[in-house]
Amino acid sequence: MTRRRLAAATAFLAVVALAALAPFLLGPYLVGVALDLLMWIALAESWILLSGMTGYISLGHAVFFGTGGYVMVLAWGVLPFWLVVPLGGLVAGLLALAIGYPCLRVRGPYFVILTFGVAEFAKFVVVAIEAGLGKAGRLMFGAPSLDELYFVMLALAAAAFVIADCVRRSRFGAGLRAIREDEDAAETIGVPTTRFKILAYTLSAIIPGMVGTVMVLRSTYFEPLQVFDPLISFTIVTMAIIGGSDGAPGPLMGAVFLVSLSELLWANLPEVYMILLGALLVGFVLGAPDGIHGWIRARLARRGA
Amino acid sequence: MDSLLSGQLLVATLVVGALYALVALGLNLIYGTMRLLNIAHGDLVMLGAYVSYWGFSLASVSPLVSMFVAMALSALLGMAIYVVLVRRALHSTALVARIEANSLLIFFGVSVILQNTAALLFTANPRAYAYLDQVIRIGDAAISANRLVVLVVALVVCVAAILYLRLSMTGLAIRALIQERDAARLAGIEPERIHLLSFALGFAMAALAGSLISMIQQVSPFMGFPFTIAAFVIIILGGLGNLMGSLIGGFLLAAIETYGVALTSASFRSILIYGVFIAVLVWRPQGLFGGARVAR
Amino acid sequence: MNLLELDAIEKRFGGVVAVQALSFAVATGEIVGIMGVNGAGKTTVFSLVAGNQRPSAGAIHFDGRRIDGLRPDAINRRGIARTFQIVRPFSGMSVVENVAIGAMYGAGRERSPSAATARARAILDEVGLADRAGDRAGALTLAGRKRLEIARALATAPRLLMLDEVLAGLTPVEVDEALAMLLALKRRHGLTLLVIEHVMRALMRLCERIIVLHHGEKIAEGAPDAVAADRRVIDAYLGEPAP
Repeated sequence: MTRRRLAAATAFLAVVALAALAPFLLGPYLVGVALDLLMWIALAESWILLSGMTGYISLGHAVFFGTGGYVMVLAWGVLPFWLVVPLGGLVAGLLALAIGYPCLRVRGPYFVILTFGVAEFAKFVVVAIEAGLGKAGRLMFGAPSLDELYFVMLALAAAAFVIADCVRRSRFGAGLRAIREDEDAAETIGVPTTRFKILAYTLSAIIPGMVGTVMVLRSTYFEPLQVFDPLISFTIVTMAIIGGSDGAPGPLMGAVFLVSLSELLWANLPEVYMILLGALLVGFVLGAPDGIHGWIRARLARRGA
Repeated sequence: MDSLLSGQLLVATLVVGALYALVALGLNLIYGTMRLLNIAHGDLVMLGAYVSYWGFSLASVSPLVSMFVAMALSALLGMAIYVVLVRRALHSTALVARIEANSLLIFFGVSVILQNTAALLFTANPRAYAYLDQVIRIGDAAISANRLVVLVVALVVCVAAILYLRLSMTGLAIRALIQERDAARLAGIEPERIHLLSFALGFAMAALAGSLISMIQQVSPFMGFPFTIAAFVIIILGGLGNLMGSLIGGFLLAAIETYGVALTSASFRSILIYGVFIAVLVWRPQGLFGGARVAR
Repeated sequence: MNLLELDAIEKRFGGVVAVQALSFAVATGEIVGIMGVNGAGKTTVFSLVAGNQRPSAGAIHFDGRRIDGLRPDAINRRGIARTFQIVRPFSGMSVVENVAIGAMYGAGRERSPSAATARARAILDEVGLADRAGDRAGALTLAGRKRLEIARALATAPRLLMLDEVLAGLTPVEVDEALAMLLALKRRHGLTLLVIEHVMRALMRLCERIIVLHHGEKIAEGAPDAVAADRRVIDAYLGEPAP
């Protein structure tokens, strides 16, 4: 068992090292695509901490991304970059705590649509605040270079992946999965269900908050409707469902698949891309609910065992 | 402050309330009988709106005629979605255990497909047409004829739907299924038939609302979304499965929205709706009138 | 001092009274049975003790401390475990993982997943499921799933184990085997047992004391033979008042 883990860890480090070479080998456009890919990986790996492991689906995860972005917007020029990134994560985590505490006491579909409502609510509040401050969009001057942002995002994506994997294998992860299987039975055998759900939700918000602080500097232009866009939430969910939401490899696969697809279609046929996304989501939920990763795992199990 | 008491706001509340109630009733019908939350519901409103828009623009057909076409098409779509997608999920042991979460995802996907298909076919530009826009005066309020028609038709259909559910045999069966699934089966009611009917009716009502709305508002591929949210707020306010509650809730939400906006500003409309949404879900998930029990 | 004490417990669901004016105690090391016709309120009593439901009135004390109103996981950590009448295994997980989670949480609170798995395997051995450890829990037969339910409850290291109709559907030979297993488990783990059963023969043999419920009230309590001969108990089961 340990030898397999060692091999996996080595492979992981090799991939990260390879990815770190990208800014030196690729032109700016491809580095930008790679940056986007890393962003989605970081977001999707964080999303599954609650939604994949417990089955409490968060349809409004963009709210943490947007919150981080807004923290960066407000703190830009006032606080140094390396301080604001974790600050964005902290604020997003606190927001999750504030949302989770009342909201994770409701079951099933209520929580799902509630997360959606909260995300939209936050979006319109920020729009109102910005309007109140007289700002119709903000320009971010003096942002770090694309390469610098790339390395930060690589770190975030790697961290998200590792955290997802560690949680999956941990005692905490076992408790979360028990909640997914049967919440009442889990509680009866001692799993502190409410506490764990809130903890998982909070954890799932931190890296997306940090990702938001970075991405808002990439476009150097902040507009609330963009960073709180429900499309971001939808894409995260679809990537995790298609890739597989039970374990770290899944979201990675989903992100790679969808980013590739979007590279093919988005420029010329954005609606077709979206229709395909919707169809894939429906198809996978019905036909392959464990995603690509789950499908691979099932094939290997049948061959090996 | 005396503008707050004007007949104008009351009229606006009534029109919007009747539309909201119509949309919410359809959503509640599907939820009540099947416990499935149709996130794509607002997009059926959008489809109905487009049917009437194109009917009028291309063939000068009155929306009061094309609304029947919209309802029929939507009902067919609803039954197709039920048979092809929902029933598969219900019959799969792997999926039915978490049917609520899974069906939400499925409807989410359907919503995205509907919205972007409309955007692909019709472009995202908002469209409108003028029909029956003469102004009628009632007391100190002025109302356009089309708004009056919307109010009357929506209200009539809502009342008719509730009466149908109260008085007809099928309606009784539907209500029995809503209240007590297993007992209803024992009484010989086939859930399958009722599910199909619920989808057809629910989808048809949404499309009807869309046809009506197309007379008084711009039509665009992403217009349905606020109606989905409003419908959710209403069915939770009124109680999931509680149809009369949806009727009252529709007017209640419309009142909150109309008077809230009058007190603050138009840009606060979304904050108001989502704020009410969150408040109700967190503090009184069983709604103002109780009804279905919330699983804890 | 008694291990478990119920004091004038009442539970109402809307207008329906499921349990009323119920008081009884269980001493450490006892095997107490609860019996009654369907709908008598037996499973409700379990739910109230385990925390799945809150009593409408009355108090429940475990080991001298009040537990009514606590969440089920808190009560489980204090040392009470229950099985469900309709078993609820974590179907998507393996048999050993089901039990390991019980070992990780509950009163034992095993911190390391590998240590929990080791303890789980030991318990699976005791209940006779060792050879099915790697199988998916959902693939077991009903009898297997019942034993899994017991194993998982046992893994939480309880002092009081509440068993809800674990013998239902077993053949007489299987019932004998199950009884022997339960007695062995009780001895080895120092358990106190509270048992709901419909299989009369087994209940009489297993329990030192039996409580009989009817319409949510206690109508008899005592040694198995005394209870079996009690007029009120007989009437409750036959449904006719004594002349």
